Amino acid sequence: MKNIRRLIFLSLLVAIGLGLGLVESMMPLPFIAPGAKLGLSNMVILITLIVFDFKDALAVGILKSLVLTLVTGSVTSLFYSLSGSVLSCLTMYIIYKYFSNTFSLIGVSIFGAMAHNFAQVLVACLMMNNFRIFSYLPVLQLTSLFTGYFVGLTSKFAVNNLKKSFDKINILL
Amino acid sequence: MVLTIGNFRRVKKLTKGDKILIAIIVIVNVISLFFIKNAAFNYDNKYVSIQVDGEEIKKIIFDSSVVGKQIPIETEYGYNLIEIGDGKVRVIEADCPDKLDVKQGYISKVGEVIVCLPNKLVIEIKGASSETDIDGLSR
Repeated sequence: MKNIRRLIFLSLLVAIGLGLGLVESMMPLPFIAPGAKLGLSNMVILITLIVFDFKDALAVGILKSLVLTLVTGSVTSLFYSLSGSVLSCLTMYIIYKYFSNTFSLIGVSIFGAMAHNFAQVLVACLMMNNFRIFSYLPVLQLTSLFTGYFVGLTSKFAVNNLKKSFDKINILL
Repeated sequence: MVLTIGNFRRVKKLTKGDKILIAIIVIVNVISLFFIKNAAFNYDNKYVSIQVDGEEIKKIIFDSSVVGKQIPIETEYGYNLIEIGDGKVRVIEADCPDKLDVKQGYISKVGEVIVCLPNKLVIEIKGASSETDIDGLSR
């Protein structure tokens, strides 16, 4: 019974990530750089990482990327999305587990955003055989500082509220 | 499964570590932006384009064989002597009255120009990128 509840909750998180990803793909950041996104679905991974654990967060990230590819239909973006999710999940886990005395959720989220960018630029390099794309990284990193900050802030509120709900139904998990 | 929601006192606000992290990221990226801006204009194949009265009359690609070479430009408008260095170029002699082109010295970066207005001479360093397709599509 507990497993099923857990499964349902994780599925809900994947679905939320999917919805956020879709909304995000319709709403590009108009002013800075092409390819820069809000990273809203990073929020879902971060929340899963904190409320559940690393394996679940990784699963949610990968599933979200796969299903989002099915929805949007652009297969090349699968590689970007997948590599970004996996690396950012790994980074956020390490930072959250070992450095949570130093960094708050905002710091963890910024680390995740940077890792996401790095993975995507790396994949773009490999796919286009052109290492000059790395010159694009600082622009993306500076953008991800802001998006990462707000994703962290939002996750913080979400986790706070989730904690209240979970206190009421503590048997849930 | 126990809920592993972290310490909420910590989650409340921006910690000192966060602030340091943000500062480091901003500094590192701004610095690397400057470096990249310089490096991005370091073309592999620079060449000197010599134009008289708007028309390109000579095109010299930098390599070791042309270092120290002097090229006289004699046209109906006047006379200039150009010297090619290692990835740089200057005018060493001119018959124009003010000799501004001689005083300017070497130019070496892509986009830099020496202009001798009386002689209608323009020396420009241009970059030919080695890659023909700079644009890529990632969707």
